[in-house]
Amino acid sequence: MSDFHNQSQASARRSDYVWQYEYYDDEEPVSFEGLKAHRYSIVIGFWVGLAVFVIFMFFVLTLLTKTGAPHQENPEHAEKHHRPGSCLADNGSPQDENERAFSRPLLPESRSFFHFYISEEEQGQGKCKAEDQGGGAIQGQRARNRLGGVSSSGMEEMEEEGEESEERQPLQGLVDEGKSDRESAFLSHFNIPNFVNLEHSSTLGEDDLLLCEPSAMLGSQHWPLLM
Amino acid sequence: MNATTASTTALMVNQSDCPEVEVPVPLFFTIGVVGLAENFLVVVAVICNRNLHSPMYCFICSLAAFNTIASLAKTWENLMLVFAGVGQLDQRGSSETKLDDVMDSLLCMSFVGSIFSFMAIAVDRYITIFHALRYHNIMTMRRTAAILGVIWTTCGVLAMLMVRFFDTIFIMTCFIIFFLISLVLIGCLYVYMFMLARIHARRIAALPTSGSGRGRWRRQRWRGGTMRGALTLTILFGAFVVCWAPFFLHLIIIMVCPLNPYCECYRSLFQLHVVLLMSHALIDPAIYAFRSAELRHTFRKMLLCSDWR
Repeated sequence: MSDFHNQSQASARRSDYVWQYEYYDDEEPVSFEGLKAHRYSIVIGFWVGLAVFVIFMFFVLTLLTKTGAPHQENPEHAEKHHRPGSCLADNGSPQDENERAFSRPLLPESRSFFHFYISEEEQGQGKCKAEDQGGGAIQGQRARNRLGGVSSSGMEEMEEEGEESEERQPLQGLVDEGKSDRESAFLSHFNIPNFVNLEHSSTLGEDDLLLCEPSAMLGSQHWPLLM
Repeated sequence: MNATTASTTALMVNQSDCPEVEVPVPLFFTIGVVGLAENFLVVVAVICNRNLHSPMYCFICSLAAFNTIASLAKTWENLMLVFAGVGQLDQRGSSETKLDDVMDSLLCMSFVGSIFSFMAIAVDRYITIFHALRYHNIMTMRRTAAILGVIWTTCGVLAMLMVRFFDTIFIMTCFIIFFLISLVLIGCLYVYMFMLARIHARRIAALPTSGSGRGRWRRQRWRGGTMRGALTLTILFGAFVVCWAPFFLHLIIIMVCPLNPYCECYRSLFQLHVVLLMSHALIDPAIYAFRSAELRHTFRKMLLCSDWR
């Protein structure tokens, strides 16, 4: 009797953790006779399944990286890249507005981002200032990270993107003059939205920021100044 | 004689066949206290540093606050259990059971709240990437405060309901379905973000290059970068699933097969599953908060007591 009392006390203590456990103790004890498989088969099966799921998810994600080899250079994109360039942005075409639209999240970020794109375009343009290759290489990865968002360094880059846009606000007045030159140089050579535009409008149809907000984007060019 | 020996052996077999796996109390305490300290530091850092008053950090702060409450409730419960074991507390006393109810509701609230915070963080990251230009219009601080208010009130109400009516199958089913839905949602959001970001990165990597060497270099860096993104995503999602799924499978098993011996053996590992749940509160700051350089910087300043900015 005392044994049973101790057992119920122990199970009552356990009931602090889970309030249902005691409820089932009142019934017949579970019979362990005649088990076909191992006792812990559910436990083992669950953990094996979980491990397989996580590893499978990782392999699917890495497969996505491997099979997505970059395309060959398209001749139509080549001619857009090799547009005769001045260092100033021209204000007429929707291409430029799309560039500005897509470049908008990049403007508050570090100057190294501009260095990357300027250095990438140097072989085509040659008129605008180009940074050195070594700096561009390292900054290029960071720049790609920012543009790619999740793709490089995962969430860290996204968070840095967010936090730098906040950090820049107190400093905007100071770096604006330095930035405006780089902005105009950058805007005339930044052609990524051509790719993204096609991709987004065809497959997603939801990201209207590239297509429908040219006037807002013209104003947003002065966003760093306003903030 | 034979009947009694048979029954005693049966009793002994039932006791020892799948005995409950006990986790030592110091381990519970360590995990609880460390998790509490970490998450509390994150909350304090986000509140004190003005640079971190942005929607993204507010959601991370909310997640850390929920984890703090969970660690606090669990540590407090351990303390009470230790006292009850020693004999200082009466198990069945009315004040003890009320206190027990309060702690259970706090735990439920923090569980539901951290799941909501994960979803909020995933949605916020989604908007940051794919509506980047309108992000500051979509996610204003006022809306963030409203979202956080809704999350906290919902969690409080749900917690009280759950603790009062946990015996009913309906509430438990709702809890489990809520967990599964949020798991699927978060997984889909992150995989979608990853896939579209990969397309973006591919486009960048396909920029015209001066020579093939440069292109190869860029392809390699692109692959390396996306590989890191895949690893980060796996860690994020994998930790969430690995830490939460055993507990929820326990709830499912309680409902579905209470008398099955296999299920009994799974249920005997309950304390291990609770330890996993608590360790998720421990590793959450490492996955979410400490990835940010600004937060690490604030931490260093706080811990080393250097001059405040």
